[in-house]
This record gives sequence, C-alpha cells and structure tokens, in this order.
Amino acid sequence: MRSLTLHLKILIATLVTLGIAITAYQILVLGIPVTEDETDDLWNIDAKVEFVANPKDTVKVQMYVPPLSRDYISLNESFISNNYGVNVNRADGNRKVTWSARRANGNQTLYYRLVLTKRYSGEKAKIKGPIFRDSIVVEGPEKIAADALLAPIRQHSADVETFVSEAIKRVNNLSDDNVKLLLAGDTSVQNKARITETLLSIAHVPVEKAHTIRLVADQPQSPELWLRSFNGKEWLYFNPETGEAGLPQDRLLWWIGNDNLISVEGGKKATVSFSLNNSEMNAIRLAKLTDESTDADFLEYSLYSLPLQTQQTFMIMVMIPIGVLVILILRNLVGLQTLGTFTPVLIALAFRETQLGFGIVLFTIITALGLSLRSYLEHLKLQMLPRLSVVLTFVVVLIAAISLFSHKLGLERGLSVALFPMVILTMTIERLSITWEERGGGHAMKVAIGTLFAASLAHIIMSIPEFIYFVFTFPAILLILVGFMLAMGRYRGYRLTELVRFKAFLKEDAERENHK
Amino acid sequence: MIGWWKTWKALEAKGIMGINRRNADYVLKYNKRSLYPIVDDKIITKERAIAAGIHVPELYGIISTEKEIDKLETIIGGRSDFVVKPAKGAGGDGILVIADRFEERFRTISGRIISHDEIEHQISSILTGLYSLGGHRDRALIEYRVTPDQIFKSISYEGVPDIRVIVLMGYPVMAMLRLPTRQSGGKANLHQGAIGVGVDLATGLTLRGTWLNNIISKHPDTTNAVDGVQLPNWDGFMKLAAECYELCGLGYIGVDMVLDQDRGPLILELNARPGLNIQIANDCGLTHRTVAVEKRLEELAAEGVQESPEERVKFAQGLFGHV
Repeated sequence: MRSLTLHLKILIATLVTLGIAITAYQILVLGIPVTEDETDDLWNIDAKVEFVANPKDTVKVQMYVPPLSRDYISLNESFISNNYGVNVNRADGNRKVTWSARRANGNQTLYYRLVLTKRYSGEKAKIKGPIFRDSIVVEGPEKIAADALLAPIRQHSADVETFVSEAIKRVNNLSDDNVKLLLAGDTSVQNKARITETLLSIAHVPVEKAHTIRLVADQPQSPELWLRSFNGKEWLYFNPETGEAGLPQDRLLWWIGNDNLISVEGGKKATVSFSLNNSEMNAIRLAKLTDESTDADFLEYSLYSLPLQTQQTFMIMVMIPIGVLVILILRNLVGLQTLGTFTPVLIALAFRETQLGFGIVLFTIITALGLSLRSYLEHLKLQMLPRLSVVLTFVVVLIAAISLFSHKLGLERGLSVALFPMVILTMTIERLSITWEERGGGHAMKVAIGTLFAASLAHIIMSIPEFIYFVFTFPAILLILVGFMLAMGRYRGYRLTELVRFKAFLKEDAERENHK
Repeated sequence: MIGWWKTWKALEAKGIMGINRRNADYVLKYNKRSLYPIVDDKIITKERAIAAGIHVPELYGIISTEKEIDKLETIIGGRSDFVVKPAKGAGGDGILVIADRFEERFRTISGRIISHDEIEHQISSILTGLYSLGGHRDRALIEYRVTPDQIFKSISYEGVPDIRVIVLMGYPVMAMLRLPTRQSGGKANLHQGAIGVGVDLATGLTLRGTWLNNIISKHPDTTNAVDGVQLPNWDGFMKLAAECYELCGLGYIGVDMVLDQDRGPLILELNARPGLNIQIANDCGLTHRTVAVEKRLEELAAEGVQESPEERVKFAQGLFGHV
C-alpha cells in the first residue's frame, strides 16, 4: 500500500512537472501569448518613390530595403509598380530592390510596402563584423588636426565604445579649431559622420553608417543616420551628433554604408517619402501568420496546425476534461448527488447549442413530460427494453413538437433543441424514475436538481473563452489536471455533505454536555 | 467556513468514516473486483454458503429462462408461502413475498391478492433485467420465506427486520438491527425509511437507533423502545458474520442476516459496499475500529498466525463490545 502511494506520488509529481514545464516552455521560450486578447504591434511601412523618367532611356531604379536580420519579421512585403520588372538581391548585409523598365515617360511612382512585427523572431544568427580597418589617408593640415583631436580621445577612452563615443563628441564640438578645419564649414550630419569615420580610421577603429527609420506612426520622416561599430561581440550603435550609444527600440535598420538610399538611371529628381502606420493585431493570429512566413514553426505541433474545422471540434473536446473535473469535485469533494457519473457533462455539452437558460427550461420540460409518461407505462408492466424504446420515441416526438412549435412562434432558439442528446435524455428519465420509485420523489428531485446544477456549472466553466483558449493553446495543462484527478483518486477526507449528514453525532455530544 | 472546519475536525476525532475513506481505504483495498459476482449474485452467494455449511434460507428453485417459468408450479409444489427474488436485485426491488394461498390465488405479505399469471409476469420482468443492476439479464430465485422471530413483533412494522454486520477481514466491526417502518414499506433499507438500531457486539443488546439520519430511541410506528432489546442467539450471528469472509473472500463486507423463528440465524445477502449509516445507529465511528483490526492483522501476519472465526469474534467482542 505504501509503495503504491509512493508510486502514485511520483506519477502525480511527474505529470504536474511535465505539464508545468511544457506550458512554461510555450509561454516563456516560444512566447505564445497567454490570453487571446493579447495584441502585438503591426507596422505598415510605405516607401513612395517618385522620379521623372527620361523619355528615351531605359529606367533602372535601385533602392535599399530593410535586411530584416534583426528583431523584426516581415509578414508581407510588396513592390507595387506598373510595367516595371522587380528584382531583389542581397549584398554586404543589405538588401536592394531593382525596378527596371525599358521605357517610361514623365512622372513615375513606385511603392514599396512592408508589414512587419517585432515578435517571434527565431534565434539570432551569429553576427560578424570587422574589428580592424586601414587608415584613410589624410595629409597636410588635416592630418595635424586629426592627430591633435585623437590624442585626448585616446586619453579619455577605455574601449571601443567609449572611444567612438568620445570621438563623436569631439567632432560635434564646433568651437574646436581642429574640428572647424576638418569640417571645412559643412556642419551637416553626413559630413560630421564622415569626419568621425576618418578620425576613427586613423585609430584603426572601423565604423559603418547605419540608416534607420523610426517606427512612429503618421509622421513624415527621412532615414536617420547612425554610426555603428563592432566590438568583437556585437554591434554598438552611436548617435553621430551626440555620441550617445545604443539604438532605441523603435529604430528599424534600413541599410548600411555610404551609398544613397536610392539611385536612378535614366531618370531624375528621385525622392523617397516614408509613411508609417501601426495597427494592433491579435497576438495568436499574428503568431500563426509569422509561422507561415518564417521558419519559426513553434505552432507546428500544436492544435493550431489542424484544419480549422477540426480545431473547432477540438476546442470543445479539450474542455471536456475540465467539465469532468467539475463533476469530480462536485461529487467527491462536495458530495453533490447527480444522475450517473458523466451525464451532467453530456448535458453541459448539449447546453452549448441551446444556451443555458433555455437549455434548463427544455431539459426540465422534456424530463417532466418523460417522467409522467414513464409512470404511466409503469402501470402497463412492460419489459425494460420496449419501455425504454417507447420513452425514447416519445422524447423524439416531444423534441420535434417543441421545435415545430417554437418555429411557428418565431423562436429560432427552439430549433436548437434538436441537438439535445436524446439517448441521454431517455436514460435520464429512466434513471430518474427508478430513483423516484426507490427513494421517493424528494430524493429524485434532489438528484435532478443536483444534475442540472452540475451540468450548468460545468457548462459555464467549459465556455469561458479565456479558459478555452488557454487549454487549447497549452494542452499540457491537461497533464496537470490528470495529476489532480489522480490525487483525488486517493482522497479520503469527508465530503461537504457528509459534514451535514453526520451532524447528529455532534448534536448528541452537545446535548450530553448540556446535561452535565 | 470555520464552523465546517470544526465539524470536520470533530468528526475526524470521533473516527467517523466518510464515503471517500470507505472507498479508498477499505472497499478498493480489500475487495477484489473479480470476487464481486459472489456477492452481487444471490444465487452464487447461496450456493457458496450451502457448500460451506453456512445457514441460508432454503432455495426452492431457480428460473433462468422464460421457458423455465413453466416450472414454477413444480418448484412451489404444495407450499403456501415463499419468496421470489431477482438474483442481482438491488435495494430490495422486485422481491415478491407470498404469505399464503387464497383459493386459486396467492396473498402477498401486504395482503394483496395476486394470480398465478401475475407471479409469472413478475418473474419474466426479473429475467429481462428490470430490477438488476445495469439492466442486465437476470435470474429469479424462489426461496423459503423467513418468519421473523417474535422478539421483533413489538419493534417492527411489517416486513422482516434484519441484522447488518460490517465485517473487515473476517472480524465483525459493527452491527446494526434494521427495522422496517410504515414509511419504508416493509423494506429494511435505511435510505427508504427503515430504522437502524445499533447492537452491542459483545452482548447483542440493542442501543439507540437512527432514523433518516437522526438519533431516536423509539419506533415511530409502534412507539416501543428500540433500545435495550436482547437479540437471541447473538453469538451465532457473530460467528455467521465472521465466517462470511471465508465464504466470499471479500475483505470489507456488510453481512445481512435474519433471525427465523424456526431456523435461527440465516444469511440473507452480502454487500460489498456497505453503507455508513451504521455509524449513526451505533453513535460511533468506524475508523477507530477498522484501524484496530488492521493493527491486529499486522501483528498476526508478523507472527504468521491465522485466526479462526471463533477467535476473531472473541477479539472483536472484547475490543468493541460493552459500549
């Protein structure tokens, strides 16, 4: 017996641990949302390319598009262009789209649209970058100015990060004569970045220009320039004007390098304008979408990979153990008396179709009428099977009558009664009438109400949408449930109703004490 | 909530056994499922009892097919009183007690006159499984009608009072006398309204009773005191109950016995899931007693001894008697 108990404990512990572990893995590692209402940001980025085509030349437009190697995942990418051939290729960590056409005339408009989201990126690929570069050759006064600037930077820095940061700060100090000389009157960000790069190259620290787009809705914007440097482990991003390190969360890397965003052959006055808007999307639906568009197949082995129709069936099915659990608790812990063991669960399932209130009314009417028929048949002394058949047929006729009636009255709800499980109703009637005879009407009523109560409670719990979602998405929860059920299998405490039933003992004690 | 907790603790302290504990610690532990048919089928119980030399009401005949109903006449023979029972009936359903003949017809115990055909219909209903657990096909048995001992005249209403003893591994643990009332319709089933009266295991003296979960000391129909009645041949009952363990092999059973005025104590039936109301009737919890028996069993197992029914009765009477 003791070994059995140990066995059981181990089994329960294993099941519960497994259930929790799988669910935790799904939530924490795979990042599957815990509730259905959880939403994620979805960004819609439009880049509008406009230019004037030369009448006789072939047109070739090249534009950088986001490489999407970082924390973003594109759900949809489209190149909207009339009469242009589209070609996308990767080079040096950049992605470039090439629109080409043999002939075009006048104002041309091309669109690039990207829908992306931040979640559900798979594991980050290993990143590589240069940690050494050759110096850009500088001569004459520039060389002296550069050396003069570098000396204090070296002094004030400890590593690549502080070095770059310090260099940027120096370059932005416009009152410095050396800086003035190097900038030569051009204080644009681009020029500062160029000078910074030159300075750093003398110290053999490589930097790259990174062009980003800010993910802010409904604000006209142009690519923002950042500098980045590789410290051997990761890319460090720097604001070229303040020297601040770290790329804010809302920046999307568009392209890297010194080139312009767009280059047009056979056209002029090329402009690119960005417009962004974001929308929120149901997180689990988003997860399903990203699943399709990426290799992240964490939903592959979940119930979501089933066909939609089957999924709906399973949404009901996975809730049945929950309903059974309700009955288990009501019977073994509370001590509620019900007809049969799982009859209440089946009735609860029937309530899905009829709605609760209407279902209870129908159940009561049909059972009451069935019971009166049963008591009439009792007088005829029929054998069991024929009697049951008569009751079943009566139930069918009754259901048909109710459907017809309610249809005529315009109550569409009445039609749902057809899905009420007839066999269950028949058995309920039969059992109820036996209980009635054996234990009297009062007890039968008690049992019937107990059954209805259990069914209603099971139905209510089984139809909480958050709960359905949770169990359906994390079916490992059922393992925890099994663990609980196993534990219940050896529960030997009192049922709540027994506390009432055995009250006579305690009353007696109290009386005896009073007599003393 | 605190009130409930207090009640819980108080009941636990008294050793009151709940359904969950009975099922988990006793029924599931001591009763092998494969042995259930022995107690579920009254015919098998009876055959086993006869083979073991245990007294049961005499079996007149068994009817197991519709065709055999024709044999009813020969089975009854010239007898004027007998009982028709379903072999697997539950709760006393489907039992027909014929007390007398009345011209060409029969009179039941309640005075109703029925024809031969009606008895045949009743048997046919039994065969189709009308009264059996789960509605399976069943057999009907026709047996001796027990005439309750005169001692019960003043404290029972119609029907046959019976004695229920809970037996754990052959040790009688608790006993109760069940008295039919007007409400129970002559049936000795507690949840149908019969009275349960505790019985002292050592002496056979009745204690106070329980009726519909309340503690009482008078019969509601006859208003005679139900306590302090000396049951005759008590040691015979105890031995009979103790022997039932060897008879069926089930470790935790309720043994239902009757006291026939001519034949003395007889086994009526065995129950693999005896009810818990016996505790109210005895005003005593079962758990302390069953734990004591289990301890005794452990000791005996360590010594490698097995006790005879007489020894077991003696042990039980010494420990649980004289309350």
